[in-house]
Amino acid sequence: MAQNHYRETIRGMYDFIRENLYFNRPDLEIKGERFNSALIFSLLTGINRGKELIIGEPGLGKTTSAEYVGSLLYRIPIGIVWGSEVSGHPEQTEEKIIGRPDLGKLNRGTEEVVWSNFAQIPVKIVDEINRLPETKQSMILDGVDRGNWEYLNEMIINEEYCLFATANYQDRGTNTIIAPMVDRFDVEVESRHPGPNIAYLVGKFDQKDRILRSPKAERSLQKILTSKLSYQTKLRQMEEVCDGYGEFLGKKLGIETVGLQERKAIRAEIGRLELDLDANAFTRMLLAELSFCHKYGQKRSVENCEEGCHFTGYLCREVRNCASNRLPTSIKTYSQALAWLLGDAEVDVEHIKAITPYTLAHRIQWKEEYLSAKEKDTRDHPFQIYLAKEAVSTVFNRYGEQSEHLKSALAVGYRVFNGESLEPVEGDHPVYFEIKKDLGLEE
Amino acid sequence: MKNPFDDFRDHPTTEREIPLDSIIQSRNRVMSNIIRGYEMLLEEEVKELVWLVQYNTVIKAYTLAEKAVKEFDYRAEDIEEFCYELDSTDKIPYLITGPAGIYISALCNYAQEEEITLKLSDLKTQINLLGYRLPVGKKVVVEGNLGDFTGIGMEGGELVVEGSAKNYTGAGMKSGRIRIMKNIGLHTGEWMMGGEILVGGRVRGLGKIVDGKVYEDEKLIYPRNYRQSNTYY
Repeated sequence: MAQNHYRETIRGMYDFIRENLYFNRPDLEIKGERFNSALIFSLLTGINRGKELIIGEPGLGKTTSAEYVGSLLYRIPIGIVWGSEVSGHPEQTEEKIIGRPDLGKLNRGTEEVVWSNFAQIPVKIVDEINRLPETKQSMILDGVDRGNWEYLNEMIINEEYCLFATANYQDRGTNTIIAPMVDRFDVEVESRHPGPNIAYLVGKFDQKDRILRSPKAERSLQKILTSKLSYQTKLRQMEEVCDGYGEFLGKKLGIETVGLQERKAIRAEIGRLELDLDANAFTRMLLAELSFCHKYGQKRSVENCEEGCHFTGYLCREVRNCASNRLPTSIKTYSQALAWLLGDAEVDVEHIKAITPYTLAHRIQWKEEYLSAKEKDTRDHPFQIYLAKEAVSTVFNRYGEQSEHLKSALAVGYRVFNGESLEPVEGDHPVYFEIKKDLGLEE
Repeated sequence: MKNPFDDFRDHPTTEREIPLDSIIQSRNRVMSNIIRGYEMLLEEEVKELVWLVQYNTVIKAYTLAEKAVKEFDYRAEDIEEFCYELDSTDKIPYLITGPAGIYISALCNYAQEEEITLKLSDLKTQINLLGYRLPVGKKVVVEGNLGDFTGIGMEGGELVVEGSAKNYTGAGMKSGRIRIMKNIGLHTGEWMMGGEILVGGRVRGLGKIVDGKVYEDEKLIYPRNYRQSNTYY
């Protein structure tokens, strides 16, 4: 009962944003339902405590979509969300991003940190992250990854947070997002142009930003954030204000929101959803293709396998780098969240298929020859997402041909691993070789 | 270390069988039965050391073949497949064309189908004695050439050869019809006692015919033939 209520609340937020704040076309179909990918993934990111990279042309709602989702899902007045954002520009400093010394106390010989709003609030938005110089991107790596923010000798740890970073396409003012930072993003989505007719509506409703404003709640929260209280005390007080803001939203807009305990309950429900065997086996097959190298043992970005390998037709031949261990976590958590949102009892292969391209798009480094061969393809998505969708579709076709065989191979693997004397199941795919490696039967 | 395949502990380790697999398995089973029957026949016949087409030898071999083929079920296409198995000597140790023909004839005579088509044009060897004792109501159509003693002792069936046959075709046949589309060899109809042999091409020589009819290119050449036995044209 509670599960349905929470789900309806979250779906209500999606509908509210779609109808009133972020106008765009649905561009993603999952199990017969159509969603806007930027909006649904932002919502899943917020629920999941995830990290999302939103790409797109300037002015197409990358930042604002994240602001709306963050504000509603965490009950943070949008004015505070605005005031907590980090802007990516070359002159950005650690003191503006994370915290600074309390200058008054420093003059009196005491070191105390004044934490930035960005470090303290759970909704973290980095606007135009690729305008941050590469050295300054490194400053936020740990905070982004684990939620621990350090300055001088002090540290705060965010128990609950999510990150939205926006990035424009490459121009003169942009830098490369460093590889460790890229890998920390769970998903990449594009905030697309909504088309001329919907874009016209965007211009017509130009007061959207005011809808989620609450100057009173914003002042209260700002006061707590700048106070000298301990971070834990601040969190408790912030929660009270946020709950009040939630009530305000309910009365003013008729939109139901969720508080901290409810978000925890939702995450617990999501975490209980298991992947069915097809989703499980398909994910393993995909990971095998993205990490396997017959010649050199595993994919390494510094090594290039030669032509003529038996596995030339698989993804391992087309990619340069190896899949990181963050990839399966992203696939699993986002697929669980999606299954929960759709009201499904377990995660199936359709959820995995829908989620995976967005978890892969920014992580795969394709070989130049593959990019050259594909860049002129007719497509509806940005190149990276298009390639990832193609890759997932290709692997899924392969999975369809041998799903029973693979599941049987994994079942035999379980028994051999437990000491039974059985022959491992052979097959013509990297995943069967990886199973043998795990069983210590590598040729 | 934790078992990385733990999620699959309850999944069956045998694969779900797809229909094609069961069809292939069934076919393999039938073929092995047919081959086993042939090998049993050979085991008996090999004692003769040299296999000669003699009245008693053929009857004895056919009796053994009959006994073997009654033991299992098979279909007409299995007979054709067996012919090709015989031709590729890696599965069956040796091909003695006499017993092979007798055995194939028994397979045809006891098949469920009334009409059997054997596409044998790609065979490297020519099968002798095919059509032996072909009974009433059975029709065997062979695409390709056959060897000696084709259709001997026929008992009312119809044998069509869309090619040529060699010597002693229709020898000792009692009734039925043999239709050879191309040419036929010597001793045609030797000791035949009834039935018809129709040849589309040339008949190289007739045998000592007791009764029945032989046609060459739609012209009756026996009983109204004026040729001497084994006259070469």
